[in-house]
Order: sequence, then structure tokens, then C-alpha cells
Amino acid sequence: MLFKIAWRNIWRNRTRSLVVIASIAVGLFAGMFMMAFFEGLAKQEVESTVETQLSHIQFHNPAFIADKDVNFTIENGPAIIGRLKKDVNVRATSGRLVTTGMISSSSTASGVEIHGIVPADEKAVSSISKDVIEGVYFTGLKKNEIVIGEKLALKLGVKLHNKIVLTFQSKTGDLTAGSFRIAGIFRSRNSAFDETTVFTGFDDLAGLLGTGDGIHEIAVIVQDGQKTDAVAKVLKKEYPSLLVQTWIELSPQMALLTSIMDQMMYIIIGIILLALMFGIINTMLMAVLERQREFGMLMAIGMNKPRVFFMILLESVMLTCAGIPAGILFTIITVGSLSRHGIDLSAFSQALSQYGFSNIVYPDLQRSMFLPVSLMTAFTAVLSAIYPAIKALRFKPAEAIHKI
Amino acid sequence: MSNIIESHNLTKVYNPDTIPVNAVNGVNLQVEEGEFTALVGPSGSGKTTLLNLIGGLDYPTGGDVKIEGVDITQMSENKLIDFRLKNIGFVFQAYNLIPVLTASENVEFVMLLQKTSKGDRERRAIELLTEVGLKDKLNKRPSELSGGQQQRVAVARALASKPRFILADEPTANLDSKSTENLLEIMAKLNVEDKMTFIFSTHDQRVIDKARRVVTLVDGKIVSDVKQ
Repeated sequence: MLFKIAWRNIWRNRTRSLVVIASIAVGLFAGMFMMAFFEGLAKQEVESTVETQLSHIQFHNPAFIADKDVNFTIENGPAIIGRLKKDVNVRATSGRLVTTGMISSSSTASGVEIHGIVPADEKAVSSISKDVIEGVYFTGLKKNEIVIGEKLALKLGVKLHNKIVLTFQSKTGDLTAGSFRIAGIFRSRNSAFDETTVFTGFDDLAGLLGTGDGIHEIAVIVQDGQKTDAVAKVLKKEYPSLLVQTWIELSPQMALLTSIMDQMMYIIIGIILLALMFGIINTMLMAVLERQREFGMLMAIGMNKPRVFFMILLESVMLTCAGIPAGILFTIITVGSLSRHGIDLSAFSQALSQYGFSNIVYPDLQRSMFLPVSLMTAFTAVLSAIYPAIKALRFKPAEAIHKI
Repeated sequence: MSNIIESHNLTKVYNPDTIPVNAVNGVNLQVEEGEFTALVGPSGSGKTTLLNLIGGLDYPTGGDVKIEGVDITQMSENKLIDFRLKNIGFVFQAYNLIPVLTASENVEFVMLLQKTSKGDRERRAIELLTEVGLKDKLNKRPSELSGGQQQRVAVARALASKPRFILADEPTANLDSKSTENLLEIMAKLNVEDKMTFIFSTHDQRVIDKARRVVTLVDGKIVSDVKQ
């Protein structure tokens, strides 16, 4: 009968109960939305970084990583690339030359990281070729072509087909320079990357560096990104003298970023649930205070305190049971739609691209999110009923039964 | 006849630290089993406070209340709730039924607290509501009943727990003449036929006329105690 009383009590004040149910539903939706949003943002960021910069796995000569000395190439680099191309777990691989230098136009100069690449291979491991907004990603017909970022072009005051000069240290330690013509201008999601990275043909750069067929970096994209660690483990064993690193090892800040995002997400969910908690406390407290006379009567005729407490908690549980499915349904409809169409954050595009984030975020709603958020919401709702229930227990029957 | 209720030097002072109000002032009262007693007196004379103290709804500031020899003023709040459930029936001025339950569910509720089986609860609820003339209102909620009918449900509820006595605080205050008469008849019948002890506070002369003992309170003290 306690269930019956609790259930009927909920519908005594239909509007108030619907407000609580709506609060729970919105609280759950907000929690789910934040989780999906941050998950989507982190996933996109990781995908973007892997596609534009890091790839899943990279090989280096361990000494090269320490000071980027161009002498430290990967021993048997071409042979390793040949072996990787036959690996069933590897989707694509590309050998790179990497050095730092100055890029100069007629008006100014800037420090850059120069990547010497084989365009056909690089296209398969990096998305930069798709980010070209002017010109082409290497014609393959001419020598000394260069592809630079839009931001760098603006900084240097250069346009497509203009000439620029790259200056850097060769293998012998001499300062060497080469004149390059801009074949393409790209715009990736990461404006900092666009400003500091340029791409030239592998052979053109190798000629200037004097590295022959030496390779500084081998980028690998695996068939299944989830198995990156397993594939890397095998490769590490196979090439113990080389530094084989996954994208997480190469960019610990990226792992840190996703972990910070996780923490931020829980903090925001915590704040949302805290707000929800106060909303429910307020409503339940009103419900309890309005029924002061009734609680006084119940205690007078012999309803003990644990039963009174349980009855109030039961009302909260019932409201939660109605609010959570409503919230889940609302989440599936709205976040599901946003997952397909994305959330356009163009208004903040400058700030977002500075940190490498895309203008359009696609929330990633995963089934596994429903249980923890539902439990957190349910816990919050039940917790919120504790104070009003304790308040009810403090009523003195003699006083409470005479309250109007 | 043995005393079912005894109070010795019973005192209740409100606001003892600020402006003390002696609501009940050294009351010595003995009530025998089967009595039909009215507590009368002007407003503020301490009738309701005395009923609250006798019914264990409040603790006195002095003296004691013994129900069949057991001092209830020494009981913890939780024990007192249990004691009330088993021994005392209450009828309140404002009926105080559970608004979301039907008449029969209201009566059953007390038995549910006593852990009576469902079948017994339902059977007794029908019996009691029939006894108070509400056989045809079993499934009506309080909002669908008149004041008099609600108060009769309250009497049935008070009887449901098979209490040792029933305390009624101004039970007819909100009722019209016909309902008052009807309720008094029921209470008197229960008193005579079932030997149910009733103590009620009242201002109503018709109720006072029906009482077999009238205890008059003024300023928290008993000023007269007449058996009629």
C-alpha cells in the first residue's frame, strides 16, 4: 500500500511532479549530451591528429628524436617500408625526411618543419592532400615543388606559384638553401600546424640534405586503429634497434588532452547533477512541507519514521523512474540527430582551429554511456529526497497535525 | 473498574525560556475503562494539549502519564509511535484522512502498519465502515465524502487497530447538526456495546450532554469533574 500511496501522491500535484520528471529528464539529457559532445570532440581531435600529423605508428632512429640531426636516418628504411607494405595489419605506410629550417619570401621569413615526402605514399597516410584549398598536392611533373599552409602563406605574403626559399643544415653540417615553387596551399583543422609545417618532394629534399635514400621517419596507418598497440608491440619486437612509437607515445599531450576532456566532462556532469539536485530538493521540500499535517497524522496513528522516510524516498524513486526513460528517449532523438548532422561551432572557429579542433563537432553517443549517466541521475534524484525526508521525520505530530 | 489512563501532576509549559505558557498545569486525571468522557473548557484551557499528552503525541515538562500502568512519558519517540499504533485510536477535528486513499484503504492502512494480513484487513475495513454506516462508500476518496462521512471514516480508522481507547479532539467541530448527531450515536453505541473508552475534547453542548463524565479545564487546571 506504501507503493500505492507514493504513486498516488506523485499525481496529487501533477504540474509539480511533471516539473520534477522534466528536470530529471533534462538532467540526464544534459549529462548524456556533454558525454557525447566531449567524446565526439576528443575522437575527432585524435582522428585529426593521427590523419594530419602523427599516423598510428612512427619509426625513427632513436638518436634522431633526441636532436633531429639529419644524419640519423633509419637503417634499411626502404626495406622496412617494403616489409610494412606487405603486412596485413598495415593499411598504408610512408617514408619521410624531416628537418627544421627557415622559409623565406621576399618580405619575411619564418621557422618551419620541412617534410620530404613521396606524395603517392603520403596521400594514403595523411589527410593533408584533401585539405589543399588552392593548387594541387604536387603535380609530380616538376622539381622543387612545395605545399604550404594557408596561414604560413598569409604570414609570408605569398600566393600559389610564388617562389620561396628554404634554408637548413645539410648532412655535412653546411647551411644549404633551395628555391621552391608553391604548388599547393592547404588548410587543415589545426592552424598552428598550418603555420609551421611544409611539404616538399622526398627526392628534392634528399638532394639538398645529402641523405641519399636515407629516411628519418616511417609513418604507418594500421588497418584497425583499435589494434594500434598490438601492432606496435609486434613491430617493436621485430625492430628492437629502432624507436617504434604509437601516436599516444608520440604525442602524450594528446592523451593528456583526452584525459583532461574526460575529467572536464565529469566535472560538468557533476555541476549539472548538482543543479538538478537542488531543483529536486526544492520541489520535494515543498511537497513535504505542504503535507506537514498529513505526516503528523501518519506518525500520530503509528507510522514509524523509517516507513515515512521510505515513503518519501519511494516517491522520488518513482519520479526518477519516469524521468530517466523520458530523458533517454529525448537524448536518443536529439543527440542522435546531432551525431549525424554535427554541431556547427563556426562562431568560435578561430579559437577552435588554434587548438586543432574542427568547426563542426559530431557528438559521439555510445550505448555504454546510458547506464552510468542513468545511474548517476538516479542516485542524484534519490539523494535529493533525503533532506526533505529527514525534514519530515523532524515534524512533531502534536504540532504537525494542526498545521494548515 | 480499573484505570486505563492515569496522569499525575501532569504539566506542559510552552516557551519555558522566553514567555512561559502553562498549557497544562498539574493535572491529575484517572480514566476508567469504558468511560465516555468529555474534556471541556474555553479556548486555550489546555484540552488539546492534555489530549496530546495522554495520547503520547507530545512530552510533558512535568508529571507522568500511565496507560494501564505503563509510563509513556519515559518512552523514546520510536517506542511511543509503536505504542500509539497498538493502543490508541485518534480522531482529529479536521478528519486528517489520507487524501489519496479510499475510505476502505484509509481504514486498512492502520492495520497494514500492524502487519495484519490482506484478507483480514479488507474484511475488518468493510465491517467497520458498515458499522459507521458507510458500507456504500468503501471506494470513495475523502474528497468525495461529506465532512460527517469523513469523520465516520476517521472513527472507523481509529477502531481498526483495536485500540485500548480513542482520543478525539473536537470531533464534531466541523460538522453540521445532523452529522454531529450521527457521529455521537455511533460513538455512544461503540462505547456501550463494545465497551470502547472515549475521551474527547469539545465545545459542543450536544456532545457534552451525551458524555457520561465531564471534566472542565480552565488555564490548564481541572476545575470540575462531574459524572452525569
